Amino acid sequence: MGREVSESCVDSVIIEMVSAYCNRFYVNKPDLAARRIEAIGYQVGLQLSESYTRILLVARYTMERPRFSDHLEAIKFICKDFWSELFKKQIDNLKTNHRGTFVLQDNRFRWLTRMSSDPSTANTDSSQDPSVATAENKSTQATSMHLYFPCGIIRGALSNLGIPCAVSADISNLPACELQLSVCFSITCMITR
Amino acid sequence: MIVCVAVVGHQNNPLYLQSFTEADDELKLHHIVQCSLDVIDERVNNPKKTGPTLNETFLGLLYPTENYKVYGYLTNTKVKFIFVTTDLDVRDADVRNFFRRFHSAYVDAVSNPFHVPGKKITSRTFAERVSTIVKSFGMSAAA
Amino acid sequence: MEDYAEELRTPPVSLVSLVGCPELHATISSYLHSEQPPINTLALPDFSKISVMARTQKETLDSGHPGGILKRDWILKHRTRVPAVVAALFTSDHVSGDPAQWLQVCTDLENLKAVVRGRNIKLVVVVVHSTVKEHSCDAPASRKEVSLDTIEEKLVFNADEVSEDRMIALRKRAEVDSKYLVIFVQNDSSELKQSLNRQAIFFKLGSIFAELSNTYYRDEGRRIKTRIERKSFKSIELNIRYCFKARASTLFFSIKKCLIGCIMPSKLQTIVSFTDWKRNAEEISRVAVYAEFHRDWVEALRFYEDAYHVLREMIGTSTRLPAIQRLVEIKTVAEQLHFKVSTLLLHGGKVIEAITWFRQHNASYRKLMGAPEVVFLHWEWMSRQFLVFAELLDTSSTTILNTSTLILGTPERPLTEWELHSAYYYHLAAHYLREKRSCLELALSASETANEIDSNSESVIPSIYVGQSTRLLQQGDAFAMQHLTDAEYILFALAEGKRFQDSFEIIALFKKSFESYSDIKAQRMASYCGYRLAREYFSISDFRKAKQHFDGVASLYRHEGWVTLLWEVLGYLRECSRRIGSVKDFIEYSLEMAALPISSSAGVQSPNHKGEYGPAGPASLPQREIIHKEVFELIKGESVSASNEGASNLDITGDQPLHLEIDLVSPLRVVLLASVAFHDQVVKPGVPTLLTLSLLSQLPLPVEIDLLEIQFNQPECNFTITNAQKPPLVASSNGEEGLRVENAPVLALHMDKWLRLTYDVKSEQSGKLECISVIARMGSRFAICCRAESPASMDDLRLWKFEDRVETFPTKDPSLAFSGQKAIQVEDPDPQVDLILGATGPALVGESFLVPVRVVSKGHTIHSGELKINIVDAKGGGLVSPREIEPFSIDSHHVELLGILGPDGEDESQTGPENIRKIQQSFGLLSVPFVNIGESWSCKLEFKWHRPKPVMLYVSLGYSPHSNEATAQKAHVHKSLQIKGKTAVVIGHRFMLPFRRDPLLLSKIKPAPDSDQVASLALKETSILIISAKNCSEVPLQLLSMSIEVDEDENRRSCTVQHGGENPIDPALLVPGEEFKRVFSIIPEVNTPKLGVGTVCLRWRRNPGFEEKSCSGTIAAEVVTSHKLPDINVEMAPLIVSLKCLPHAILGVPFTCYIRIENQTQLLQEVKYSLADSQSFVLSGFHNDTIFVLPKSEHILGYKLVPLASGSQQLPRFTLTSVRYSAELQPALAAYTVFVFPSKPHFTVEDVGEKKTEPSATE
Repeated sequence: MGREVSESCVDSVIIEMVSAYCNRFYVNKPDLAARRIEAIGYQVGLQLSESYTRILLVARYTMERPRFSDHLEAIKFICKDFWSELFKKQIDNLKTNHRGTFVLQDNRFRWLTRMSSDPSTANTDSSQDPSVATAENKSTQATSMHLYFPCGIIRGALSNLGIPCAVSADISNLPACELQLSVCFSITCMITR
Repeated sequence: MIVCVAVVGHQNNPLYLQSFTEADDELKLHHIVQCSLDVIDERVNNPKKTGPTLNETFLGLLYPTENYKVYGYLTNTKVKFIFVTTDLDVRDADVRNFFRRFHSAYVDAVSNPFHVPGKKITSRTFAERVSTIVKSFGMSAAA
Repeated sequence: MEDYAEELRTPPVSLVSLVGCPELHATISSYLHSEQPPINTLALPDFSKISVMARTQKETLDSGHPGGILKRDWILKHRTRVPAVVAALFTSDHVSGDPAQWLQVCTDLENLKAVVRGRNIKLVVVVVHSTVKEHSCDAPASRKEVSLDTIEEKLVFNADEVSEDRMIALRKRAEVDSKYLVIFVQNDSSELKQSLNRQAIFFKLGSIFAELSNTYYRDEGRRIKTRIERKSFKSIELNIRYCFKARASTLFFSIKKCLIGCIMPSKLQTIVSFTDWKRNAEEISRVAVYAEFHRDWVEALRFYEDAYHVLREMIGTSTRLPAIQRLVEIKTVAEQLHFKVSTLLLHGGKVIEAITWFRQHNASYRKLMGAPEVVFLHWEWMSRQFLVFAELLDTSSTTILNTSTLILGTPERPLTEWELHSAYYYHLAAHYLREKRSCLELALSASETANEIDSNSESVIPSIYVGQSTRLLQQGDAFAMQHLTDAEYILFALAEGKRFQDSFEIIALFKKSFESYSDIKAQRMASYCGYRLAREYFSISDFRKAKQHFDGVASLYRHEGWVTLLWEVLGYLRECSRRIGSVKDFIEYSLEMAALPISSSAGVQSPNHKGEYGPAGPASLPQREIIHKEVFELIKGESVSASNEGASNLDITGDQPLHLEIDLVSPLRVVLLASVAFHDQVVKPGVPTLLTLSLLSQLPLPVEIDLLEIQFNQPECNFTITNAQKPPLVASSNGEEGLRVENAPVLALHMDKWLRLTYDVKSEQSGKLECISVIARMGSRFAICCRAESPASMDDLRLWKFEDRVETFPTKDPSLAFSGQKAIQVEDPDPQVDLILGATGPALVGESFLVPVRVVSKGHTIHSGELKINIVDAKGGGLVSPREIEPFSIDSHHVELLGILGPDGEDESQTGPENIRKIQQSFGLLSVPFVNIGESWSCKLEFKWHRPKPVMLYVSLGYSPHSNEATAQKAHVHKSLQIKGKTAVVIGHRFMLPFRRDPLLLSKIKPAPDSDQVASLALKETSILIISAKNCSEVPLQLLSMSIEVDEDENRRSCTVQHGGENPIDPALLVPGEEFKRVFSIIPEVNTPKLGVGTVCLRWRRNPGFEEKSCSGTIAAEVVTSHKLPDINVEMAPLIVSLKCLPHAILGVPFTCYIRIENQTQLLQEVKYSLADSQSFVLSGFHNDTIFVLPKSEHILGYKLVPLASGSQQLPRFTLTSVRYSAELQPALAAYTVFVFPSKPHFTVEDVGEKKTEPSATE
């Protein structure tokens, strides 16, 4: 459904937004910037989930239970349909301890594919020498800034499906980057590039 | 003939409510819609009671008032569509079809970037689409 | 349901009639009544009364010309007047009496039979024996038995007067089967027999009656069923025929009516009596009869239902009565049929069927409104249907518990949840009753001739037919029924309708549905019913009840944000509180309404819809503004505009000003929302910090605030903001003077716009400073107290958050909007007092070490100051050594705080009792007296080190800079100091053998494995002990004395210790590193391997240097360091070799030296000795030899020696070997040195006491 837009446009829009919030609106207030970016993502997530559930509904209208009965179905929806709508692929791996922790793993997170960071510094743990550490931190911060938006989207979608959650992203082990959806139970998406 | 259409949000708050009657029974329609939320809760909370429409987005006939019939529909995002009709015999297919079209209209409305989710729907285009859907109700037009 | 006749509601009971012998009736009827199923009895004293059973004149007349469908009293008749069985009681003497009596009996029987046959009632004849003569029974009695079992046989035998042929004749006349001829003995002589007989007879009678009535009803049923089957089709086709020849003759019609009319009651009769009787039986019957029962039940239902359908068909057809009354009649009958059907269904637990049946019933009759004038009758009827069904559901609610599981209804017509609950029906009943009321009012207003309604309504009475009413006309003394014309009937109905006050009924219904909806947790339905209920209360102007119910409803609508509904309810509430006259509520509701999120587009209503809306009027922006204006006029003091009706005695009197509280959950948050944000989290006391106060109001019109009061938890921070435009209010709270007053250029709140005010706040008092509330005063008598909220944790307005509007931040700075708090932390004031710990050098173990503490106040006066002293091990670990467990041992702490000395030496504890003072080994608490600015106070902490341990000393002074306020927070000064403890003196000791006298100590030769380190001394030999004390501290010490205390007295005998020389008189000053030695001689007295010598006590003190003299005049206290000497091993030396020789010799001059070998044993000792050569001496005598030393004697060797070299020379080395002990003894080298003078010196002996002799050469 709907019209499509070039992916590069989407990328550039996101990058532009992040840079605008980080470097123009809230300079040296990164937490505030992150908050705003996440809020935007949240709203986008809400709206996307509306339309994507609708898509799901149309697709499976013959199915006898189109309505989600429990959280797991909603999570599956996020992993399969939502993810593939948004990132053109499904989650690679979904783990859960049945007390509510879900780990979603995407080995090639679409929106980070064009993000550059050299693995050498990435792999070196930032405790060795301060200069590398700071550089490392900088790059990490930049990347995490770009991750707040997808986090917001996932959070918005889930909460719109009735799963209130808080999504946080940490990229401790680049290039593998891990965004953590902590719901009333917690979900961990690890996104590897 | 459909006399009232409503969209109700997560917290059972009205997001959109439009009545299509000349009569001044708008309040009554408000009441009817609001009361039908009880039935929706009932069906969602213990679905075993409602046999045919199990876990379907379409909730079927909610309840017959003295001279209205109320039908309900629950999206996966816990948004409820309700319409009130005066027709005595309504075909199930018509209702489903109506809701299907209504749902798409709703999705388009909330996907508008200038619409803040969770707030009332004030888009005029939405209102127009809804009125056309309402008008075409009964004559089984494909969605 | 109650307004139904009792016989309709309860299952009918079969009726039996007793005729004759009235004296027996009571007992029999009571018995029958107690029978299960009970049987009612119609007791007729004598046969003249039997006419009651006969078809009355009226009936016969009616049967010819039926006036209605269903007689009002037909069930009643079957219960009270028409028995199923008649029992004719004859006394035996009548039966067997003279012909006249017999004739009487026969005639009675005949009459009875005549009556009975008309209704084919069953007949039973009972012959009663009044008197019994007791005599033996004999064989012929058996002939007399009339098909009765043994007991009767006996009875019959007793009744021997009645001859058998009479009996048979009686039976013949009565035409009853022989077993229906019962012989009844009235009174038997023997009680037991009597009771037996009574029971037997009664049992028999009961069974007979039951059986007969059962058969009677069944026959009736069959009879009429056949009649129906014969006639029903005919009636139908008659109906059909009738449909197109509507102009047929009345006679013809009457026949049709007769058919239909007779179908109905007969059906009913059978079914009722039959099925209900069965159901009655079912209650007590066992499962065995179930199947049969069930069958009948179904049948009964079937009959009811097709009766119902036939009736439904009649509606279009019959014109017997005028239209209105016909409809009324049909509806009434249908109502009763429906009632029966649903009762049966529900009692059978077929809830779904019942509900669907009710649906059909409802659907088929809803549209039959009838004539417009009396449409209210229809609504009344409808509401009654719903009410009755609801009550039925309630009564049989026990059976419908399992509805939660069943799949509702059919897929095409699914049942919905509420249709299972009585609440739904109550609700609709109330709804229809409201319809009825409105229609009735309409009709009443329409019918102008109200007075003559009453005039001609009184003579109307309900007719004998259900649902009909006729007029009673009095012609002379005879009464005649006359059918009413519809016009009359309308008037009558109107009059009837006027008599009833429907509102209370409606209220009751709504309340019922409200409650039952609440029970099934359908809160919205419940609140809707509550809303209607409240509106009813409102309409009958019971405003308090209305208000209470509206309140409940409003809370739900508020919570779910149904603005339009809330508006409506609030309008009512407002009106209610206006009528009640409670100003506060009125203002609150008005403000809330005015602040509701209703845009003008929401309520485009044409004014003619006014009726639909409550007193609030349509929900629209102009309306909000009107209300806003009104309430603010009221606040300003003008009373409410007289436009709205009702006693508006609302105004705020000056003496009790109106005060609204708005907290976080109040619905009035939309009216005024105050968010307070400090610009930073912590602040120093006395330093101003910025505070932004943001006010938001959703009132449609701008609001001018005259005065704002901002209140903190620290009242001295409160301040007020006055409006520049307004003159300062005189009435405003001038109570507390000296309050800060700010002046704002404008204090006007515009709808949905934040009013942001930023001021600085300064707090002197540390701790939490929190803004509690903001009070907005408008006018002199009105104030809104609004709880302050911090923007960080502020939740959005409950109703407005759904509105499509731009969210604005309370503060300009968004980060402050996210993180701003209404509370701020005020730090402690930084102290202006010095705490000086003057510690000098390291502490010495054993001494009491004084740490002087000085408190010098520079900026603050010290009130209620207190000093905390705390010592911890500098290297972490505790100060308590794990070795000592016992708490009171002085050594349990390596370092301990002994005490605290006041400024001038005296102990602090002497000063007043108010001073806190607490001292433990490692902790001390001490109160500091008042110290004024510039003054100082000092004390000394006295510590004692038991082990050389470095210690961290923490001293903290807490005080309050301001006098006499307990609330004032304290300032704190902390100081810490590391003090290392050192051991002052190290004491060493050494044992030495006496000069040139060497005992042979075997332990030295062959050391025992354990006693290697223990010094061994020879018994009764003087040996030397040298004690040395070394000062290893950095400070010079003064030795006062050194002595050896022999602790145990037995050691005093065991060894004697003499001090060589005496104590040093003037204290020996020991500079650091210097060592002090002292010599003691010790003579062991007893032979023991372990001899405690004693402990060395060293008394010393610090050498008072200048600085200590200066700071404290007292010289340091002397310290006793004690050192326990190790035990020594004393043994008896068997041989002692001592050398006797001059201390010096002269070169070339021969001299003699003797070596004496003492044998201290009782044995002969063989010793070898050898004398080594030495180049500096030449000697004569054996170099080596073996000699025997006699016991307890000595052997002396003498040598002459000539020194060959001068200087200190070694004598030839002498070695002795004891053969017995195979031990070699070699005297110490030092003992064998002599000084050889080159020439003979001169000696001038100066002092005798001098030990050492210095040689002075003289030429």
